[in-house]
Amino acid sequence: MSPIQCSLSVPTQSKTPQFDLKTYWTTLTQEINQKLDQAVPIEYPDKIYEAMRYSVLAKGAKRAPPVMCVAACELFGGNRLAAFPTACALEMVHAASLIHDDLPCMDDDPSRRGQPSNHKIYGVDMAILAGDALFPLGFRHIVSHTPSDLVPEPQLLCVIAEIARAVGSTGMAAGQFLDLEGGPNSVEFVQEKKFGEMGECSAVCGGLLAGATDDEIQRLRRYGRAVGVLYQVVDDILEAKMMKSKVDEEKKEKKGKSYVAVYGVEKAIEVAEELRAKAKKELDGFEKYGDSVVPLYSFVDYAADRGFSFGESS
Amino acid sequence: MRYSLLGNGKRMCPILCIASCELVGGDEELAMPLACALEMVHAMSLIHDDLPCMDDDDLRRGKPTNHKVFGECIAVLAGDALLSLAFEHIASKTKNVSPDRVVRAIAELGSAIGSRGVVAGQVVDIDSEGKEVSLKTLEYIHVHKTAKLVEASAVCGAIVGGADVAGIERLRKYARSIGLLYQVVDDILDVTKSSEELGKTAGKDLASDKATYPKLMGIEEAKKFAAKLVYQANEELASFDSAKAAPLYHLAKYIVRRQN
Repeated sequence: MSPIQCSLSVPTQSKTPQFDLKTYWTTLTQEINQKLDQAVPIEYPDKIYEAMRYSVLAKGAKRAPPVMCVAACELFGGNRLAAFPTACALEMVHAASLIHDDLPCMDDDPSRRGQPSNHKIYGVDMAILAGDALFPLGFRHIVSHTPSDLVPEPQLLCVIAEIARAVGSTGMAAGQFLDLEGGPNSVEFVQEKKFGEMGECSAVCGGLLAGATDDEIQRLRRYGRAVGVLYQVVDDILEAKMMKSKVDEEKKEKKGKSYVAVYGVEKAIEVAEELRAKAKKELDGFEKYGDSVVPLYSFVDYAADRGFSFGESS
Repeated sequence: MRYSLLGNGKRMCPILCIASCELVGGDEELAMPLACALEMVHAMSLIHDDLPCMDDDDLRRGKPTNHKVFGECIAVLAGDALLSLAFEHIASKTKNVSPDRVVRAIAELGSAIGSRGVVAGQVVDIDSEGKEVSLKTLEYIHVHKTAKLVEASAVCGAIVGGADVAGIERLRKYARSIGLLYQVVDDILDVTKSSEELGKTAGKDLASDKATYPKLMGIEEAKKFAAKLVYQANEELASFDSAKAAPLYHLAKYIVRRQN
């Protein structure tokens, strides 16, 4: 699939040297997938674990939150082993919120990540419970698997608080609620909350695990938020372009707020470029860390340009 | 969130948490954030439990259930938000407790509410509908749906109160007994009381042919079992200072004698 360029002709100040993001990403996700498989083994009662595994181990999952977390940790010279449990937890919590998002009483999505939604296979009751189980499993996994010699307990508590805040009533839950019930002018808020939060949270957790300073954490926060929203805005743009070329009138009105639907493609592209520049500007502040910042730059470019494909989307 | 959290709950889990903390020499303030978090996760599991696709209950604690008032979508989200708020609250608001103890408390709570705790109980409960249920399965359901969280309440209180391993284990066993006791008494009350007295839909178990202790054992045996659980609970308290343990003795007594 050839990359669909969405950027305007204005060249961006790109500092990204040649970096094989695809290999970096696929090797890292292989390790993460392995750890996730071990983290959710099947026990009695089997069905709930099957439902949990179905969503967490979905082949179409891109693993953006865990990869972001590991990369942010390594930026400061942190050890991957310190980050893996949190990376897995982020994916569990992410999967949980997607399961609930897809429920009939919510977005009512029949498919997710290239396969039927959890409730379509296991039923609505099991889907609710699978989500309810994945949230606490995430927190439990962090505290039981993070080596205490690598991450002191106070920092672990900050990570827990950060993830809990990001998915809660001031974070993703707020975004989801407004996505379904808010007016069109809430689209920025929704984008920030639904997608910005996860990006922000993942980057911040990585920094916390590595012992970054408060200023560095704030910088990561702004970076992560920008990348998260950028990814979604570009998703909206690509979807709008695909729909135009298909002239698919039967395509169901997407429930929820799309930046493009509210402001149009031109403005959306402008916003995407602003976000790209903003994310990179934050990373400029990490110059002293040398090459370990390169993966984080490449995430920005990938979010904007989609230089390669993983197969099925979202 | 507030509707369910601040409704008329008995607050058994928070109270047990604080009582355990004080029993082992801690202050109420040490345990308060945990106590509140326990109530949040309890409220959350009730909200989700009452949903149409789950138990489909219209009444809870004497009032319309959350989804009846706010709709299913908000009820799901409110539950999710209470769950995360609980962990955020513990992690960020617990003061004057060593971080490693807070971490242990979080591990304990995480274990009690997920697929090894409340959710496991709910899954087996759903799976058992319309089937012959053995006493063993019934106990599994009640231990996981109810007793695990009660257990976690006492254990978390003991952890932040500074208890040693032996003390924590005794409180764990005490709480496990009264947690199960609570459910046995619940089953007995469902047979013997009306909706008004209970504050929730009565006779439901009978109507739905759900397995209960009275159904599997007979009412008299169920009452004897309840008495045995009280005895077991009290045994665990024997090695603690009896004045400090008084609230816990009385809690067990209250559970077995309550009328709703």
